[in-house]
Amino acid sequence: MKVLCNGKELELEPSATVTRLLDALGLEGPYALVERNGEPVERERYPDTALAEGDSLVVARPVAGG
Amino acid sequence: MKDPLTIAGREFASRLITGTGKYPSFENMRDAVVASRCELVTVAVRRVDLDEVGEAITDWLPEGVQLLPNTAGCRTAEEAVRVARLARAGGLPDWIKLEVIPDARYLLPDGEETLRAAVDLVDEGFTVLPYVQPDPVLQKKLEAAGCATVMPLAAPIGSGRGLKLRNAIEIMIEQAEVPVIVDAGLGAPSQAAECMELGADGVLVNTAIGMAGDPAAMAAAFAQAVDAGRAAYHAGLIDESQEARPSSPITGLVTS
Repeated sequence: MKVLCNGKELELEPSATVTRLLDALGLEGPYALVERNGEPVERERYPDTALAEGDSLVVARPVAGG
Repeated sequence: MKDPLTIAGREFASRLITGTGKYPSFENMRDAVVASRCELVTVAVRRVDLDEVGEAITDWLPEGVQLLPNTAGCRTAEEAVRVARLARAGGLPDWIKLEVIPDARYLLPDGEETLRAAVDLVDEGFTVLPYVQPDPVLQKKLEAAGCATVMPLAAPIGSGRGLKLRNAIEIMIEQAEVPVIVDAGLGAPSQAAECMELGADGVLVNTAIGMAGDPAAMAAAFAQAVDAGRAAYHAGLIDESQEARPSSPITGLVTS
């Protein structure tokens, strides 16, 4: 299954979840932020939010800033 | 004397808020945050570079410090609301430093868009701390919208020019119903002290600490300046006088 994440095409197993995506990216920490097809995903839903072929994802996190 | 800064019902012992940007390293940043004694630090929200994930800033922040995500980089109300929603959904606090800045040269905030975003975010339950130009009329609108603070700039972000917009900020402080936090443009601890002497409820400093020769030492200096300025505000400054007022008796002169 292909998804687009931060503008980059990623190959994931079918029905991979948001949690699986973050694991694959090495972002299992507490503040990985995810938007799926333009909608923010609630953290508690990461484990049961299954991704679908062609999903457009934004993965963000806090960075240094003023 | 217990004199906390209270924002949206939460008390902070420190009236200094710091940004986490522009430090030479996360280690410098952490040491400066500790030295500043601040309890609230701003962070930006950005897409992760999937080719170079790197370290998470949150791994370097001292425990007990509250994160204040900002909407830096947003040019419209819609963009700012989107970032705030993403941050909260992902587990960041529902406090947001609202910045809507269309102008890259002076980084001056758009009051109209800021107000529009503030109305929506307050309605969605966010605690909103808007970054604004010193505009006492906009201040009242933001207060009416339910913002937790109003954060006027002293001078453009990162400019280090100090309290250039003093007169308008003075009016804001005088008529404030929520804390006035002077945000941006401060370059030296003396300028932070000046804001506090004026009656500001707090200051937010980033560049002047992050880019100092010794960020931790500068953070400590800002902390002391904020304390000194606040103490002076409570102590009551004298009125200015055009003419001199002698400090020694003018009668009984030895030479008379």
